[in-house]
Amino acid sequence: MPIITVRDLRKTFQTKRKQPGLMGSLKAVVKPELLTVEAVKGISFELEPGELLAFIGPNGAGKSTTIKMLTGILYPSGGQASVLGLTPWKDRRKLAYRIGSVFGQKPQLWYHLPPADTFHLFARIYELDEATFKQRLGFLVEAFDIGDLLNTPVRKLSLGQRMKCEIAASLLHRPQVIFLDEPTIGLDVVAKQQVRDTIKLLHEHEGTTIFLTSHDAGDIESLCKRAIIINYGQVIYDDRVSALKRRYLTRKVVSVRFAERLENGFALEGVEVLKVGDYGVKLQFDARTTPVESVLQRLLDAHSVADITVNDPPMEEIIRSIYEAPPEDVEREG
Amino acid sequence: MFRRLKLDTVKYTAIAQINLQNSLAYAGELAYHSIFMVVILYVFVQLWRATYRAVGAETIAGLTFRDTLWYLVMTETIILSKLRFANKMSEEVKDGSLAYTISRPYNYLLYHWAYGLGDTLLRLVINFWAGALLVTVLVGPMPFNPVYTLPLIVSLALALVLDFCIEGLIGLSAFVTEDVGSVQLIYSKFLFILGGMLIPLDFFPAGLRNVALALPFNYVIYAPARLFVSFDPARWLNVIAMQALWIGVFALALWALFRVGLRHVSINGG
Repeated sequence: MPIITVRDLRKTFQTKRKQPGLMGSLKAVVKPELLTVEAVKGISFELEPGELLAFIGPNGAGKSTTIKMLTGILYPSGGQASVLGLTPWKDRRKLAYRIGSVFGQKPQLWYHLPPADTFHLFARIYELDEATFKQRLGFLVEAFDIGDLLNTPVRKLSLGQRMKCEIAASLLHRPQVIFLDEPTIGLDVVAKQQVRDTIKLLHEHEGTTIFLTSHDAGDIESLCKRAIIINYGQVIYDDRVSALKRRYLTRKVVSVRFAERLENGFALEGVEVLKVGDYGVKLQFDARTTPVESVLQRLLDAHSVADITVNDPPMEEIIRSIYEAPPEDVEREG
Repeated sequence: MFRRLKLDTVKYTAIAQINLQNSLAYAGELAYHSIFMVVILYVFVQLWRATYRAVGAETIAGLTFRDTLWYLVMTETIILSKLRFANKMSEEVKDGSLAYTISRPYNYLLYHWAYGLGDTLLRLVINFWAGALLVTVLVGPMPFNPVYTLPLIVSLALALVLDFCIEGLIGLSAFVTEDVGSVQLIYSKFLFILGGMLIPLDFFPAGLRNVALALPFNYVIYAPARLFVSFDPARWLNVIAMQALWIGVFALALWALFRVGLRHVSINGG
């Protein structure tokens, strides 16, 4: 039986539109121009218990609006949703005891206080008794390796450390479903990996159902089995991540910085050179025909490499590929 | 039932406590507020000293120079310490943190009451003693009999609840309009003038005084401050009855509009 069911869910906002300049401001006061924005246009999907779903899309696609409806913060304009058998916007408080949420761009930890203080507060808010709280905190401290951070004021933590504590705070009450909205946004490579490991551990150890939104194709590749892609408020893809990878996450972009000046230009078989400088190049290639290992190996053999990064194409590009793909290659919904 | 009450008490006390802890981290800001309190009261001392000399009377509308200054200690303490609920709601909508505060298992309005209270209690104590010290030195000892401390605290607490309900109504408009600055400004000016923050209502011409006394704003500032300088049990009973009545009216409106407002929440950002 699905843990989350969404049927034809819609959300329409009205926003004020203002022309630039002073006259525009005066006009907006006298006769405001209202613009209707359809943030979510009738999406439908289901999620089984224990699934780790990537809910992805570009900025303004409707991801966060969907999460906010599923956590009961926003009332939908139409459609239905059920989370753990409850209607989120009607049973918001009851549901709050059973779900958790992390909004990557919005801190929930008290900035001037150590995380331990917020954890204690949440234990009271979620009505955990002292023994349960201590046991749970002990588990989270060990699992997320945050023992040394507990008594340091949040303002002194790095972004990655803070995010681990943010996630731990949302797990204190042992939620059955957790909504992670951009948990890796703004993090460096190491911190991203730490957060990914944390999510993986949470899923494997506790079987928590995870609803993850991210801009980062790397998050999806390394964590999720299933992905839903949403664009302009509609579901445009709902399938396994492996299929997404096979079809659309094929192109890799490699940036290389050399320890020595390039003397005789640069060329490498099977790759397209996007940019070349005296000390660096930017390459792209199709990983289906040219394996990443082979490109890296050949670069290391031929040059003295100071730094190297491998990136996935940005989400906007993946979505463009989905739209450009032949209809039979794409599963469309909504 | 008893268990629920206990859990809720623990919950809201913890919320008040953490904000108190957080406020202690802003020691500098609190010190600044008490300096502001001292400066403004120093100006009032000079102004009212000149006024009483010009009038050439021992009392104006039943208040001595000393009464007036201690009245102003109390009004300034309330205004500088009270909860800023409307601004907080507006900030939450603008920065998106409403997504957290509205989705936890508590009553959103009670959460904010508890949240603000932790900070307010600390400010009340600091601001009052900063002002009291100055006025004691420049004007004379407090005209308040400590026997009436408890009833005065009841009236002060009701004043804060009433203000919270009015601020809540202003703050609710943030769910739709995001910014509450203009309405908040009008309310604060009402408190300054019609609430008796700047001048005791006793000094107003009869017509304006009667209007001000009929409005709820005086029960936030004037009524508790007036009790502070001349406590009278009959007046106290009348004040707390009227405070309770206005709280009933505004709390009902707040609760009803909050239910409606939830349907219209819009949150900025991602």
